[in-house]
Amino acid sequence: MSIKLEDVSKIYVMGEVETHAVKKATLEIKKGEFVVLLGPSGSGKSTMLNICSGLDNPTSGVITIDGEVISDMNSKELTKFRRDNLGFIFQQYNLLQTLNVKENVEVGREVSLLPFTVAEVIEQVGLTPQIDKYPFQLSGGEQQRVSIARAVVKNPKIMFCDEPTGALDEDTAKEVLGILQKLNKMYETTIILITHNPSIGSMADRIIKLNSGEVVEDYQNKTKLDASEISWG
Amino acid sequence: MLFKNVFRTLKKQYTQLLLLGVIITLSSFIYTAMDYGVGGIKVPAEEYFEVANQEDFAISMMDFMLEEDLMYSVLHCMPSEEVYTLSALKDTNSSCYYKIMDHRMSLITGTYSSISIELREYKDIFYDLSGDTHKLRILKENEEINLSFFTKGDAPSIDSEIAVGETYAKLNNLDIGDTLTVEGKDYRISGFVLFPDYSLAILSSGLVFDNETQSLALFTDAEFERISVPVGFHIGGVFDNNLTVKEFETKVLDNYKDSDNMYFVTSILLTEHNMRSGAIYGEIEGGEATGLMLSILIASIAILIVGIMVSKILQSQRGAIGILKSMGYKNSEITLPYVFFIAILAFPALVTGYFLGTLAAEPFKNAFLLFYLLPSGPINQTIGTFFVAVIVPLTFILILGYYIIKRILSQKPVVLLNPQVSSKANFFTKIMGKYLKRLKITRKLQHLLLYRNITKFMVFLIGMFYAAFLILFSFSMVGIMDRTIIDYYDNTDHNYIGYCKYDTVCDLPTGSQETVIELPSALVDDEETYLVGLKTDSKIHKLYDKNNDVTNELENGLIITKSFSLVKGFKIGDTVLLEVGNNSLEIEIVSITTEYSGNKAYIDIDSLSDLLTRSTGYYNTIYSETELSPDNYVIVISTNDIVDQTQRMQTLFDMMMFVTIIVSIVIGAIVVYILTVMTIEDNFYNISLFKVIGYNDKEIDKMIIGGYLIYGIIIFISAIPTAILSFIGLQLLMARMYNVVMPFEFSLWHGVVAIVIYIILFYLGAYVAKRKLSRISLQEAMKMYQI
Repeated sequence: MSIKLEDVSKIYVMGEVETHAVKKATLEIKKGEFVVLLGPSGSGKSTMLNICSGLDNPTSGVITIDGEVISDMNSKELTKFRRDNLGFIFQQYNLLQTLNVKENVEVGREVSLLPFTVAEVIEQVGLTPQIDKYPFQLSGGEQQRVSIARAVVKNPKIMFCDEPTGALDEDTAKEVLGILQKLNKMYETTIILITHNPSIGSMADRIIKLNSGEVVEDYQNKTKLDASEISWG
Repeated sequence: MLFKNVFRTLKKQYTQLLLLGVIITLSSFIYTAMDYGVGGIKVPAEEYFEVANQEDFAISMMDFMLEEDLMYSVLHCMPSEEVYTLSALKDTNSSCYYKIMDHRMSLITGTYSSISIELREYKDIFYDLSGDTHKLRILKENEEINLSFFTKGDAPSIDSEIAVGETYAKLNNLDIGDTLTVEGKDYRISGFVLFPDYSLAILSSGLVFDNETQSLALFTDAEFERISVPVGFHIGGVFDNNLTVKEFETKVLDNYKDSDNMYFVTSILLTEHNMRSGAIYGEIEGGEATGLMLSILIASIAILIVGIMVSKILQSQRGAIGILKSMGYKNSEITLPYVFFIAILAFPALVTGYFLGTLAAEPFKNAFLLFYLLPSGPINQTIGTFFVAVIVPLTFILILGYYIIKRILSQKPVVLLNPQVSSKANFFTKIMGKYLKRLKITRKLQHLLLYRNITKFMVFLIGMFYAAFLILFSFSMVGIMDRTIIDYYDNTDHNYIGYCKYDTVCDLPTGSQETVIELPSALVDDEETYLVGLKTDSKIHKLYDKNNDVTNELENGLIITKSFSLVKGFKIGDTVLLEVGNNSLEIEIVSITTEYSGNKAYIDIDSLSDLLTRSTGYYNTIYSETELSPDNYVIVISTNDIVDQTQRMQTLFDMMMFVTIIVSIVIGAIVVYILTVMTIEDNFYNISLFKVIGYNDKEIDKMIIGGYLIYGIIIFISAIPTAILSFIGLQLLMARMYNVVMPFEFSLWHGVVAIVIYIILFYLGAYVAKRKLSRISLQEAMKMYQI
């Protein structure tokens, strides 16, 4: 599934102050690509992810995913679109504390048309021994793996990952990134990952750098590394 | 500055706080209104009973002249003609009647010491007022016990004056000086009168105490004697100083049935067990207890919600509190604004409830006085009531608030500055999680999200149970008067009852009329019974056992009413001893009718005639479909008038039911609203996440607040057996205490309508909450630190 942005801008108005979070961005992400959006705090990464995924509407411009213009969709249509096509991973794991690992993953599976099996996905993220444990019984890395499994089980065509390793130590972060890389290869899922850590860019197919809401660099990573080989900066 | 911060924080939750204020106000309102309302009756009633020397007990006795009476009369006052009853004797030989009465009373005082007794005589007359038939029970003035008490005006001093009840006068726009035409004679109303042995105007065997079409009245003694209707009587008694209730129960109540001297006594009832004179005692106690219980329940809901809200607000302020602590603020300085604002919010709500309660107490008291014949006193505010209605709940609210604040403040600044560690799955969620294993995860979440916060869940359960119980209880009163009286008249085709005169034989019945024998003081296994002799092929007074016509069962034995069966525990197949005057008969109970009209039994008229006169053909009453001429009878009663009276009372019951249901719905809807809003706030980030994942609004609604709907329905269903048990308990209590059966009834439709009401109040309460759901933005999930 490909994503196409044409002259997309997002302006926040607070009183009399206008903030241009994204300025006339035009780019295209191809199916199966592993894209890293890089940039410092306030560069517009999260806003870009929000509008690409239909969580927020652009102020102007057109966003098309696989030929469907999502920037014109109403809230109901967007919900349906996200349900059928997208997966999300956040820095905070957002797990439901009253559900165990398996049940948290089922939360993602229940809304999907063609889901993977829960056991299969849990195995892919290496949590089979912890399947009956509750979130508070897991480490940060394990919790993030559960949130990955929850996103992957839907069999999404695109996965949006917002600083998925932001709260993890280096080794755990590499493990989590390794899983994302594996899933990208295995299921040809398009992955868009935002981070402020430039080292993570080395495992991506493509790197898009943002600054003050503008795309300042957009290039293919020719020396793509395995997640385990990343040198943590 | 700290005060400003707390104020602004609370301001954001103004809708919830406002509704919480309504609940707090309701708790003090209900207590105050009921306490002062009941107090406005209790204090003057106690003084009135003291001044008017209310009977401590009442003795009912047979109207029949029994063998002992006849022997006594032969020796002392030979009756001039053959009469069977004392009431008939009074008409023909008054002096002999009083001699026998004196003899009966001397037998009582001779058998039991430490009591004083006095005969209470009355006559029932009917007259037309504004086109309706009204009933007056004229009581003869007594000298020592059950004295008349005037709320306005004076006792009749001349024969053309009458005193009636003040409530009756008010309901019929009558005043002192107005004229009533009774039995063809004009009477000027000289005053408004009460009698302490009739605090409830129960003037017949049924449970009718309507004060609009019936009243107690007083004539001069001479006028009382002049009125030519049969006299009714009982004996009122008081204890002497050295006798206690307990001793009276042991010495008299437990033994009188075995005493030969008490051959004429059908029952002795303590005032507190006598519906007519003592129901007010139970009503006062019940009113006070109900007021306290209802307000405690509502207050506990309010206090728990305050606790949850304070806890939530403080959790959201953890960081700010941590900074204040790290800056050197003392715990007391941080606590004070919170406690101050809790007090500022709760105190006016409680005081408002208190003052609204004082205003409502007067109409509440007046509603009591529509039923009860008691003097009305002014409502005086007391410190005690204010303390219970305002200070006690305020103290609880403040203590709970203070405890929650203190618990959070006891944490170190560094802990407070860090976000709260995710709440773990508690014991209940784990257990329920296992039980709900097979459910879809969205369904499972409906339950688990509720179990996550047990206090909140408890508030919900209490609130819903409270609403459910009140609604079901209200429904049980639907048609209560129909079941008591109207059903009986619906099942029978006689529209008029004519009581024959003693000295002449009633005309023989025509086609639409039937002969009947009515005897008000027969005994069935020593229990006073209203015995009716009916034809076994009666066409206009059929007897029904649920759906079947059982009239011809009279050929095989006695048929009793359902109320008689419930009160005394009689069942089909029991053989009982039927005593009518000097005659008795062992007879089997062959059927139980669906009537709730007191202790009543039916027998074949020929058997009863034979028992009374050793011949068939005797009758003393005519039931008729067509109107009977009053000239030919002592009294003619129209059953339509009784039905009208009953329907008037049903209207009052319906009004009470309506008010109770509205209060229940308001409380229920507020609880549902506050809790669903809290649940949405608690699950703010989860909801955002569900939205991001692709759950639609309907699915999220179902998951987050759908559990409330499920558990609410479960609670409403589980309240049904509790309500039924309560009805049964109350029925037994009433039966045991007053010999009266209140036919509360639960029908399937009560349950269905109660659930429909719950579903409506759920959607009413959840409606605004749901709008909050739609306002949660998708990006919140990104911002979340930890759940």
